[in-house]
This record gives sequence, C-alpha cells and structure tokens, in this order.
Amino acid sequence: MPQQFEQPQSQTQETHEDDVLAQSAPQSADQSQDQSDVLDDILNDIESTLETNAEEYVNSFVQKGGE
Amino acid sequence: MPQLRDSGTRTLHATEPVPSAEMDGFCRIFGVETEYGVAVTGVEKPVDAGQVAMTMFQPIVSRSRSTNTYLTNGSRLYLDVGSHPEYATAEARAPHEALAQDLAGERVMRGLALKAQTRLRETYGEHATVHVFKNNVDSAGHAFGCHENYLVRRFVPLEAVEHQLLPFLITRQLYTGAGRITPDGFQITQRADFLDEAISSATTRSRPMVNTRDEPHADPDAFRRLHVIIGDSNRSQWATWMKLVVTHLVLCVIEEAFRRGKPSGFEDWAFIDPASANRAVSRFLDAPDAALTLASGETVSALALQRRYFHAVALFVADHREAMDAAFAVSTSMMKHATDVATDSPTAVILGEWDRVLQALEAHDYEALADRVDWAAKRRVFEALRRRRPDVTAIQLEQLELDYHDVANGHLYDSLVSRGQLHQLMTRDEVERAVHEAPQDTRAALRGRFVEAALASGAQFSADWTHLTVTAPERREAILLDPFSAEATAEFEHLMAILGR
Repeated sequence: MPQQFEQPQSQTQETHEDDVLAQSAPQSADQSQDQSDVLDDILNDIESTLETNAEEYVNSFVQKGGE
Repeated sequence: MPQLRDSGTRTLHATEPVPSAEMDGFCRIFGVETEYGVAVTGVEKPVDAGQVAMTMFQPIVSRSRSTNTYLTNGSRLYLDVGSHPEYATAEARAPHEALAQDLAGERVMRGLALKAQTRLRETYGEHATVHVFKNNVDSAGHAFGCHENYLVRRFVPLEAVEHQLLPFLITRQLYTGAGRITPDGFQITQRADFLDEAISSATTRSRPMVNTRDEPHADPDAFRRLHVIIGDSNRSQWATWMKLVVTHLVLCVIEEAFRRGKPSGFEDWAFIDPASANRAVSRFLDAPDAALTLASGETVSALALQRRYFHAVALFVADHREAMDAAFAVSTSMMKHATDVATDSPTAVILGEWDRVLQALEAHDYEALADRVDWAAKRRVFEALRRRRPDVTAIQLEQLELDYHDVANGHLYDSLVSRGQLHQLMTRDEVERAVHEAPQDTRAALRGRFVEAALASGAQFSADWTHLTVTAPERREAILLDPFSAEATAEFEHLMAILGR
C-alpha cells in the first residue's frame, strides 16, 4: 500500500492504521455529497451501457474454456 | 478425489543449485496469472472470439514470431488454450509490487484490445467494440482462472497445504470474492460452482482449488511453488493486494510450524467436504451463518473460521512482527516511499485491514465493504439500480456485471473509481511504470534488462522463468535459478555483451 508510506510516519502504530483506513474513504468525490447522490451519478454514467442490446452483449461472450 | 502427488520436474534443473539466502526468514515470491475473456459486440457480420484474440496478438506475433513472449517488465504475455489472452506477473517480493504488475497487465490488455478494435472496424463496421473481461465465467458457463503463485519452503508437506491452508482459502472469499449473478441468485464468488477437487496436479482436466504441479522455477530442493486456483479475478486493487498479503501471513505460520516442528494451530480446521463448503461460502448472502462441518465433526460458520485464522495469525505476529516486516522491507521500491521505516509495520497494517473487514461482515454491514470488496461494490450498484428502475431485467444486470470486468471498454468500474467509490492503492503513474519496469529486487530485473536489450538489438531470443536465451546469431543461454536474486551472473553479463550491452 504505497500511500501509507507517503504519510508522515510520526504517529503511533494505532493512529497509523486509522490513517490508512481514513485514506480509503472517498477522496476525489465531494466529501459533503450524500452517498445516494454519488450512486445517482454512477447510475447516470452507466445509462448508455444499459441502452445497448443486453441480450447481444451477454451472449457474445462465449469462450472455449481455459486453465 | 484429492490427488496428492509430486508430478516432478526436479530433474529439469540439472545444474547445481545455489542455496537461496532466503530460506530462513519470511521472504516470499508472489505472482498472479490472469486469464482474460474476449468478446466483440456491434459487428455487422459474425466474428468469433478466437479471431479477435488473434488480432489482439498480431503485434506480439510480428515482434516475437510467437503468441508467447516476455515483456520488458519481466512478465509473461501469451495466448492460452481457448483463445484466452493471459498475463503472468514477474516475480515480486512485495505484494504491492505484484499488484502493480497485475494492473500493468490490465493496461497491456486494454492497449492490445483497442488496437485490435481499430483493425476490426475496417472489416466488421464502425461500431465493432472489443471487450476484454477480467472475470472467470462466460455466458455459456465456461470457467477460467486467476491463479496466485506463492513460493513456499519445501519442508511444508502438501498434506499441510490441503488441511491447514485450504479452509482459509475457501473462507477468505468472504472478502476477496468478485461476485456473480448466477441462476441461483447473486453469489459472492465467480468460481465456486466450477471447482470440484481440493488438490490436484491438473487444471484443465479437473478443477482443483490448489494445484500441486511441481514447477518451482527455483531450487527444487528448497522451494515448491504453491499454485492457488480457487481465487476470483479482482478489479478491486485492495482485493488483489489483500488476497496476497493475508495468504502470505497464513503461510508464514504454517512454514514456521514445520521449521520448528511445532503445531500451527490449524491442524483441526479441514473441511470434511471442501467443494461443498466452497459452494456454501459462495452463497453467504443467502445464509451468512450456514454451519460447515470440519473433519473433526465440529461445525462452524465460514466467518467464524476466518476469525479463528485471524486470531491465530495475530498471536503469531505478536511474536514475529520484526522478522515479518523485514521480509517486506527488503523491497527497495517499498522503502523509497518510507520517510521513517522504524515506526512503520506493514504486517500491522494488514492485520488492521483484515480485522475491520471481518468486523463489517460480522455486523452484516456489507455497504461498508463496497469501497474495497468487489462483490459488495457490485451489489450496492445493483440494488441502487433496482430502486431506480424496478423494471430492470436480469439480462441487463448480467450485462452490467460483465461490464464491471471489461478492462477495454467497460464503464461501471471506471465510474466507481472516478467518483471515489473504490479504494485505490496505486497511482496511474505507478501502474504505467510497472508496464515498462520489472521489480528491481528479484530475478525479474535481469529478465527485463535482457528483453529490452534483445528487442533493441533485434536479436532472436527466447525466455522462460529460469532461462534467457539468445538464439541467433549465436546461441547463448543464462540460467537464473534463484528468483530472489537480482544480481547479474557472469553468464548473464556474457549474454548482455552479445546484445551489445
């Protein structure tokens, strides 16, 4: 986890762990924005995907198997 | 049923192996092999996946005269059976380096796909769209894999892997599963319904969870390469990192137990029926407290068993943290981020993440996992979509679920990332660097230099994990048996001299 090392390392271990988690909170999104608003934005982003032919899309994906 | 045999390639390495300096500590070599699925939509006439995959690999074939090559970052890129593009990361000592390499693979695949798309549009129409899925099941129910490799000290017997590690691997899917819409409803894993054997030396014939094919790509007397098949392909960076680091910690406990001739504490945790336990874990959302039966006759839930592993590992770490941190700290690329290494403990960070994710599961707070666990991220979006559009069809949800895995033209994953809803462990620049640069503290560094020099000089070359060969104008080979060593050997220097370096 590279970010953890970009932080000043002066804290005690416990607060350090808290920092790592704090960083996992949304960063680029507006912090004050309600979570449901963010979900609305995401649903808007994928609207065009849902307008395509789902049947064709799903059925086009057939492999012969691997491993 | 479970086969336990060493299908040996031990005689392959006839040269006298140099004992690795890394036998004693907790150092490990990590690797991830990812098979991708290919599809095309929007075409004016039919084209099969095989042809799309071949078009993707056209630049590789013209460069290497083969669909199997190594890149300057030390990784392997090839076209597997069934037209699966596959990418195997170069040897990494640090899990986050393996993550960077795996993400570099996504970027390589995306680049190949978009180039192929441009070519295919000349023949199949301007709307032809190539999809490259980093997932594990196609629409017809064919499964393919994401395999993790861990170099494990050979004194750990295969029986211990089966009895002590497998229950952990099965239950770890609670937070590493990628999730999938199945005829049985939403499951938290992609692959559980396709794996039937616990341990086997084959992968294509049967579907084992751990493969024992004995190709250590290292000193066979010192190490075996544990080939874990049970895992899903992850888009979440956190999930890829997490499955490597937590599995590493559990392996450390098992290794130390055999090194000292003492019990690990995991001896009685084997499932009486691993395949059915695996399917039950995958249906966690239907029955979070489902009782799984251990070989001892005791019953326990998947989550409670994970908690037991957590407690045992935490106790072990309390006694060994310094040595375990040291195994990570030798990684120079990890060090360069450190401002004060002394107060920093990667092992404590891993335990902290593990504890919190188990706490969220114990509280049934799946929303709290949606920024790092793939299945929870998908589930959150699906539920929001159902609220907005109650008429959304099953096939639309399936499409969206596939779109999440599409590294070439997908929208959902990118939207989640750009809106800050998925925890990122790597910057774009770090991933871009990993596309071109090998890890500098393993054998991969030498392979990377070799490939770069060979391509620059136009010499014909071949490589595998332990061999580097110039085939023309003069045949010359270097063998690199110690994956932990980035030190150039005389043989290697001679090879580089032939290439004008």
